[in-house]
Amino acid sequence: MAEKRKSMIKIKPKKYKVGDVVKVDFIVIHPMDTGMKKDKKTGEIKPAHYIDSIKFSFDGKPFTTMKVWESVSTNPYFSVKYKVTGKGKITVDYTDNQGEKNSKSKKIKPKG
Amino acid sequence: MERRKFIQSMFSASAVAVVATPMGAFAKEEKKASKKGPNDMSFDDAVKAITDGKEVKDSDKVKLSVPEIAENGAVVPVKVNVDHPMEEKNYVKAIHVLNTANGNARCADIMLTSANAEGYFATRIKLSKTQEVVALVELSDGSFIKSAKSVKVTIGGCG
Repeated sequence: MAEKRKSMIKIKPKKYKVGDVVKVDFIVIHPMDTGMKKDKKTGEIKPAHYIDSIKFSFDGKPFTTMKVWESVSTNPYFSVKYKVTGKGKITVDYTDNQGEKNSKSKKIKPKG
Repeated sequence: MERRKFIQSMFSASAVAVVATPMGAFAKEEKKASKKGPNDMSFDDAVKAITDGKEVKDSDKVKLSVPEIAENGAVVPVKVNVDHPMEEKNYVKAIHVLNTANGNARCADIMLTSANAEGYFATRIKLSKTQEVVALVELSDGSFIKSAKSVKVTIGGCG
């Protein structure tokens, strides 16, 4: 069973209209181990464990895909821009190198 | 007496030196070997893999913002802004964030589309020591532009 991770999508600014360009921030709680650090308790080297691919999509249509390596910080944060075209749902699917698959989505509700 | 002391001290010093140097050298080598990551890649190899040998130009269009001095190498904010239109046939295809001295030179590849409306990306990366961060941008016509900035790292963040 894949472990459920805490993640969050933030749209900035909070109020937007159709045609506005908004920032889509995605934050996930993930260790992003490089495979070089030692565990402080056991003294053994922790195996590499990092997110390797991320897909941002709107109503099932992907608009940004990312390939990520271990050089990205612990609890990573990714931010891209997106032009609002109407009501829908932004979904972020992400997988890590140990095969964990998760996704998070947020509704888009433009005003005016 | 003085002569005896002098000779004694000389012998002890040389003995220490002889013992100490090889030990130190071995220890360093071991450390280096154990610090290899799973997918290490040098900066030049990474650039080759991305551009396939094509020319990369330095450009003012790519605005890379990183701190000049990063106290903590584990969290270095990186922001890339590309001053380029995002139309259907003329857009920023990809932004590659690279470093020059980490084990693995590649940090993140971001494939954008015209739906993004702006060539923008921000994240936080780890840097092992003082080095350069490079933003390599691929445009939809297949050309590459880049911008690089050096970051001073006080405490490395790669374990």
